[in-house]
Amino acid sequence: MTIALERRSLLRAAGALVLGFAVPLPAPRHAAAQANPPVRPPMTGGAGTLTAYLAIAPDGAITLYSPTTEMGQGTWTGHVAIVADELGADPGRIAVENPHPAAPYRRDVGAGPAMGSGGSWGVRYWYQPLREAAARARVALVGVAAERLGVPAAELRAEDHHVVHAASGRRLAFGDLAAAAAQRPLPESAALRPAAELKLIGRGLPRIDIPAKTHGGTIYSIDLKLPGMVYAYARVSPVFRAELDRFDAASAKAVPGVLDVVAIPGGAAVVATSMWAAMRGGRALDIAWKPTPHDTTTSADITAAMKDGLAQPQGAVSRNDGDVDAALRAASRVVEADYEVPFLSHTPLEPWNINVRIDGDRLEIWAPTQNQDRLLNRVVRETGWDREKIRLHTMLQGGGFGRRLYEDIPSAAVIVARAVGRPVKMFWTREDEIGQGWGRPAQMARLRAALDAQGKVTGLWVRTAGTSMNRDFNNFQGDLDASSVQTLNDTRYRTGAYRVDYVRRQAPVPSMPWRSVGATQNGFFMESFLDEVAQAAGKDPVALRRELLAHDPRALRVVNTAAEKAGWGTPLPAGRARGFAFVESYGSLCAQVAEVSMENGRPRVHRVVVALDCGSQVLPDGVRSQVEGGVIQGISTAMGEKLEIAEGRVQNANFDGYHVLRTDEAPTLIETHVIESGERMGGVGEPPVPPITPALANAVSALVGRRIRKLPIADALG
Amino acid sequence: MPVNLTVNGRRHTLDIDPEMPLLWALREALDLTGTKYGCGIAQCGACTVLVDGTAIRSCVTPVSALDGQEVTTIEGLHPENRHVLQQAWIEEQVPQCGYCQSGQILAAAALLTAIPKPTDADIDSAMVGNLCRCGTYPRIRAAIKRAAGTGA
Ligand code: FES
Ligand code: FES
Repeated sequence: MTIALERRSLLRAAGALVLGFAVPLPAPRHAAAQANPPVRPPMTGGAGTLTAYLAIAPDGAITLYSPTTEMGQGTWTGHVAIVADELGADPGRIAVENPHPAAPYRRDVGAGPAMGSGGSWGVRYWYQPLREAAARARVALVGVAAERLGVPAAELRAEDHHVVHAASGRRLAFGDLAAAAAQRPLPESAALRPAAELKLIGRGLPRIDIPAKTHGGTIYSIDLKLPGMVYAYARVSPVFRAELDRFDAASAKAVPGVLDVVAIPGGAAVVATSMWAAMRGGRALDIAWKPTPHDTTTSADITAAMKDGLAQPQGAVSRNDGDVDAALRAASRVVEADYEVPFLSHTPLEPWNINVRIDGDRLEIWAPTQNQDRLLNRVVRETGWDREKIRLHTMLQGGGFGRRLYEDIPSAAVIVARAVGRPVKMFWTREDEIGQGWGRPAQMARLRAALDAQGKVTGLWVRTAGTSMNRDFNNFQGDLDASSVQTLNDTRYRTGAYRVDYVRRQAPVPSMPWRSVGATQNGFFMESFLDEVAQAAGKDPVALRRELLAHDPRALRVVNTAAEKAGWGTPLPAGRARGFAFVESYGSLCAQVAEVSMENGRPRVHRVVVALDCGSQVLPDGVRSQVEGGVIQGISTAMGEKLEIAEGRVQNANFDGYHVLRTDEAPTLIETHVIESGERMGGVGEPPVPPITPALANAVSALVGRRIRKLPIADALG
Repeated sequence: MPVNLTVNGRRHTLDIDPEMPLLWALREALDLTGTKYGCGIAQCGACTVLVDGTAIRSCVTPVSALDGQEVTTIEGLHPENRHVLQQAWIEEQVPQCGYCQSGQILAAAALLTAIPKPTDADIDSAMVGNLCRCGTYPRIRAAIKRAAGTGA
């Protein structure tokens, strides 16, 4: 990992932003915006720009340029805590902004440098670079103070937004030092503060974005208004990926407020004076799309294709230890089962929208994106716009869960803005948000375990089959999509001979990463099946995991913590059962126990106990919040979420048919036990999701006396 | 045809289509964007506002139905944004993305007006119409109880 911190290149990066777009951005005109301006020009004048990440104004106000998108996962507050601690700043005087993509804000996690937020990297990746940047800025401030006070730097301390000389009691404010510090080269490196001096990291800080979210003060992308803005509803084909055949603009223009109808890739944009008028016009629009090869596709077709994949003699092999075939032949007992999960929608509560404004050869974009470079690349590719002349403003967003890694029709917004000559907000409705697909792919698995006469596992073969997410999302052309074998491929379990392979069976439903990606379905497959194996071997499910992890103290600790805190093995009231699961993903190990009963034929989750080893944590309450949200989202998928496909399209494209968990079915008790093992910092946003689904399904299986092998559970129970 | 609308104590006469749902009148005619569009079919609660103290779904309520009634949006819940529920929401660190939270808070406000000390079952029935995709339900429940003085 190299983060360019050279002052010169940073200033150039910052300068490009400032100089290329010297025109001040307009303040949105609504009243609510006044307390919370969503868009400010970056700090200019170079006065207090200490690193690419930090600028300090003369009044002491610090701007932190966070490379991550704030979607509610709390990384902005995490970054404030990191910087404030290392710098010695008052966290209350740090404001956070998203910068335009530039080298210092790009992370490289294996696919080349890019600015974006995914893979639960937001804190674990930026922890070190931000601490180092803050440490270097601190040393620079102390250096200026040493000169002004005529004392050695070693006698000075940075604390409470000042550089302090304890011996003489003199203090210089950061704001008074910043301009001079910015004029000189930053030190090449600086020692980080010792752990004993840290006040926020590991202890926490109230989330900086929460107060505005309690009074409607947050300006999301959908709320942004630019002077002269028009609103374009993107009417796109409900049948996946169909091309536009024809439309009759007059049919929409008859609706009051509709100004124009503009052809866009995949459909037509109905442009109007308000979102409501644009939606009404969109509904009124007479439009038709060309036939596709999948015009009659149903969920049953997709399942049949996956079953065919399971039955293939050969798959693309991702792991092959020992001789699984021999182990299965020699087994005194073979356990075998097929599992299935459906297509899921992320369905963040803010539907997709994007704002663009063209001014001569300049293009400004305001978007709720978690994948900044990818969005820009697509706009450049599809419109030919000069990348240097584009400015991207990342908006706070109403949920992501991976969905905003994809950029929906950004070029269409540019096409419309060009056609109508005005700033445009392009958007679509909930039905499009769910109906366009781009969710978690459906997948099946066939698992076969070999047991010897003592009930010991001597071999395991996991075959997965289904859509390659990366083929849709990244145009991956190989046979082995890593996401389809994610967490299976690098499991900590020792099962003797072990084979993992995958057969691709592409469905027409577009797919992409969904919070914790392949770990959700594969965690469900593996952890449900291990309960079946335990049952066949006459073992306790947790005891079986302990046996398979006997060589791994770190994993054992996580398993044992969850089991002990949940009272695993202790008696429960009649009609209740516990289910267990353990899944490692995104650098963290997570075990969960769900305590469940059946009420009116539906599972009722009373209590969830979570043990999470994420190495170390910055914001303990932030971690808890992510665990709770992840557990509830996982329960939601297990209980009732699935895309129903018929006639090549989604049949349940709004919340009346796509069942997101509601408060009456959410557990009131989610206990989080974080294990600070001191291992490398792991992710937190995604790792809590995968274990809950199998933990819940295992409990339900115990309660109803038959295995839940197909999600959602509502369907499996019939 | 002009439509009369009283929002957060201010009376407006708006030149809008009487069929326009209140949600869009608030967001587009009055620039009160704290009220959110989530589904448009009364399924998610993101658009919840108070009409004479009762929580309603503004996405399916035409403005013409509201003449003579008092609409309260999240922006008008408290003059300094310090309603007991707003404070409890901060204390309990409830919001994640925050998109659902205006609706959640207003639904909770209506609940506490009707039932000052709600039970869990009361909370379930008052809040079941408000989806939170981020899964903040346990914290919402805790914040309601804190505001009601019934918290653990
Ligand atoms: S937008 Fe009104 S209930 Fe969803
Ligand atoms: S906080 Fe994100 S939808 Fe509720």
